[in-house]
Amino acid sequence: MNSLKRAKELDQEYHFMNAFADSLDSGEGRLKGYTVSVKDNVCVKGVQSTAGSKVLEGYVPPFDATVIAKCRAEGASILGKTTQDEFGFGTFNVNTPFNKPLNPHDPERSTGGSSGGAACITAVADFPHLAISESTGGSISCPASWCGVVGVTPTYGRVSRWGLIDYANSLDKIGVMGKTVKEAALLLSVISGPDKYDSTVLDTPVPDYTELESVEELKVGVPKEYYGEGINSDVEKTIWSTLKKLESKGAKLIDVSLPHTKYALSSYYIIAMAEASTNLSKFSGLRYGLQEHIEGDFNQYFSKIRTLGFGDESKRRVMLGTFTRMAGYRDAYYLKALKVRTKVIEDFKHAFEAVDVLAAPTMPVVAPRFDEIEELEPIQHYMMDILTVAPNLAGIPMVSVPCGTSEDMPVGLHLMADHLQEHTMLRAAWEVENL
Amino acid sequence: MGGRKPVKATIGLEIHVQLNTESKLFCSCTTEIDDLEPNTAVCPICLGYPGSKPKLNRKAVEHGITIGIALESRIKPVIRFSRKNYFYPDMSKNYQITQYEVPLAEGGYLMVGDHRVGITRVHIEEDPAKLVHVGGGITNARETLIDYNRAGVPLVEIVTEPDIESTEEARDFLKKLSLILEHLRVYDPSGEGSLRVDANVSIDGGNRVEVKNITGFRNVEKALNYEVVRQRSAVNMGLSIVRETRHFDAETGVTSTLRLKEQEEDYGYIAEPDLTQIHLSEELVGGLRASMPELPDQRIQRLVDQYGITRFQSDIIVNTGLRMSIFYEKCCELYPDSKTVANWLVTYLLKSLNYEGMSLEESSVAPETFTELLTMMDDGTISERLAKELIKDYVKTGKSPRKLVEEKNLALLPVDELRVVVGEVVSENQKAVDDYRSGKTKAAEYLIGQVLRRVRARAAANTVRELVLEALKGN
Repeated sequence: MNSLKRAKELDQEYHFMNAFADSLDSGEGRLKGYTVSVKDNVCVKGVQSTAGSKVLEGYVPPFDATVIAKCRAEGASILGKTTQDEFGFGTFNVNTPFNKPLNPHDPERSTGGSSGGAACITAVADFPHLAISESTGGSISCPASWCGVVGVTPTYGRVSRWGLIDYANSLDKIGVMGKTVKEAALLLSVISGPDKYDSTVLDTPVPDYTELESVEELKVGVPKEYYGEGINSDVEKTIWSTLKKLESKGAKLIDVSLPHTKYALSSYYIIAMAEASTNLSKFSGLRYGLQEHIEGDFNQYFSKIRTLGFGDESKRRVMLGTFTRMAGYRDAYYLKALKVRTKVIEDFKHAFEAVDVLAAPTMPVVAPRFDEIEELEPIQHYMMDILTVAPNLAGIPMVSVPCGTSEDMPVGLHLMADHLQEHTMLRAAWEVENL
Repeated sequence: MGGRKPVKATIGLEIHVQLNTESKLFCSCTTEIDDLEPNTAVCPICLGYPGSKPKLNRKAVEHGITIGIALESRIKPVIRFSRKNYFYPDMSKNYQITQYEVPLAEGGYLMVGDHRVGITRVHIEEDPAKLVHVGGGITNARETLIDYNRAGVPLVEIVTEPDIESTEEARDFLKKLSLILEHLRVYDPSGEGSLRVDANVSIDGGNRVEVKNITGFRNVEKALNYEVVRQRSAVNMGLSIVRETRHFDAETGVTSTLRLKEQEEDYGYIAEPDLTQIHLSEELVGGLRASMPELPDQRIQRLVDQYGITRFQSDIIVNTGLRMSIFYEKCCELYPDSKTVANWLVTYLLKSLNYEGMSLEESSVAPETFTELLTMMDDGTISERLAKELIKDYVKTGKSPRKLVEEKNLALLPVDELRVVVGEVVSENQKAVDDYRSGKTKAAEYLIGQVLRRVRARAAANTVRELVLEALKGN
């Protein structure tokens, strides 16, 4: 049975796709035999790409994202587009008018978000499969953790963003998911590296991340701010048991502190929303996506399109983001958030002077049930990101690797490394996988 | 009314100039758009398609730096871009990528005569698309079409201090600025809408009014004159000037309220996150400084020194435009006497071009054919008088002077043939001959006139004079 047909069957049960390619091409190369699914905010030529928003319903990009072109060049078959929160605005993959995926371990629970579809198909695919996903503040780590798969977010600038429908450009990173560290490392090796279409991409040479071996005397930092209050005690217990096993294999556990962690969440949301509110301006129904009959002046038309096309969370972020950059508030919010970001980066830089990786729970809880999510206030949604936003704000690489269960649901260990130290980080994750 | 006396006002200008790079500021689409079908020089980047990212055109940055250097501005060591956010249908992304906190260059000045006009800043940004209003103007069009060919064309914005004191000075400032930009080879003055101006105008220290989007020199002067007179009349009638933004309608020559200042947009600037900061190396800026093209004032002096022409002539040649002074120098390579070239260029060629309402580049006048005219005078093919007549046809038709002479059979008669004509005239006017011989030397003038009339322009006056006097003596 071919993977397109099989994926469609699985999608009937789990709702992880927004659009399928008409047919699957394949070729020679490192990804020969692999079917690659693509988060809906990464443009695939000829396949509807909506970023989970009604405002882009029917939009078929005229070009491939650079990561897609690289996958095709290595022989991958591009399956289609996986569902996500609208523009990446969410932690549970419920903020979308399109498919809302079900957690493969318990269909009454969320997959996590915003790359929920990517994590879901990665967990359930029974054919060779890899997922292109994307993180702004934790959108790879969170669903990877809750669905029990490996999710890698690379250093900001490691992978070209050309073709990524922006959420917050200074934070957005295209990354990967796979069932194993080695498979994820394979896809990361393919999509990393320089690209003339993205000015922010780094031209540092790309190692072969699939060369995995034990790290001698691995120094694992344990940041105290990522444990204790706010973290489910059973989740924390699972994490600690993993860390102890690592220690028994020769790793050294070192206590570290990241003192600006408590400011990271506010800084992250201010910067992310400020950028998002300008990125969403282009969706005005003139050239692509949702269109309506033009009546009245341009303001009335733009308002009509945006009223119909954006969900509540998008509207909330446009309003908050616009507020934080208005004259009179800009200094207190947007510019201050940029300063805090520098402080957060300094925290990490300092920590990595003493350790190879930092280890923490990926998420403070296991995947919540949909009925629980409905009870949460927006601020409680944002609090879910408390462990993932700081490394995202700092632009450092991170991987969520499955490390056991709590309440029969998967728990992910979050490993973070210094800028461009993906290889060491993946080797540490491979150790965890092999415990 | 005070006649042609300059009207006093306080004026500051924001000048937008399209830079003549090959490709747009953030993509590789062409900037040669004047003759293209609408929406054919476009790509995902300048159309603001989801997933596209800007890629900075370094040439535009270099052009901007060159302009900063020419205006004696301080070049900033770091280049950063920002998003200026506002909703308008000519904006493909509903934000414009521009420079906000840190411009390319700050400070500087430009001398207009003896008066120094301060430069506040110089920065680069992307041009929005062009709106084509159908069935009305900006406020009452039946429909509006969008042409994205212009979207993303690189602009430099030059902001002056409010140092300009009259509409005439504003015009002179713009002329000089345009000439400098032309000499820097960063700007094509013939492009459609290649120079656009927003002007801040106030009188008697009153409220400042901004007049938006004036295209071309002539309109700037018209718009400013209208605005100054409007403000003056309002004050005379005891009305107050409101702080507002006004729109200039080039067809009616009138400014009208677009919006009051309280309704101004808050642009909510943020750093453009898709473009990295660029640190300008000393080598780059130093290299541009070292290879600065000759500026108009330097060129005027050099033409005087090198070609021995008057300052007045050099001034006219250089101020007419870069193409004219290049034309002049080319002529000097082809023709040995640079002063004669200057005389004929300034006195006759420019006059004919003006009469035809043509610029040098619109005409077919070329150094080779223009110097041919001078050579034909020297070798006696045509008279000076004929040359002055011929230059009009030459400018109008673009045909080479030699060809015109051949076509119309205008070349000078050989002396033998001319002598025959003189003989005929002398024998037909015995009374004049008698008068001359009886001491009325003026009678010779009559005979010369008769000969010239008969041969029209095909003889030089002094040759005819010599032949007539010779005939009178001989008889």
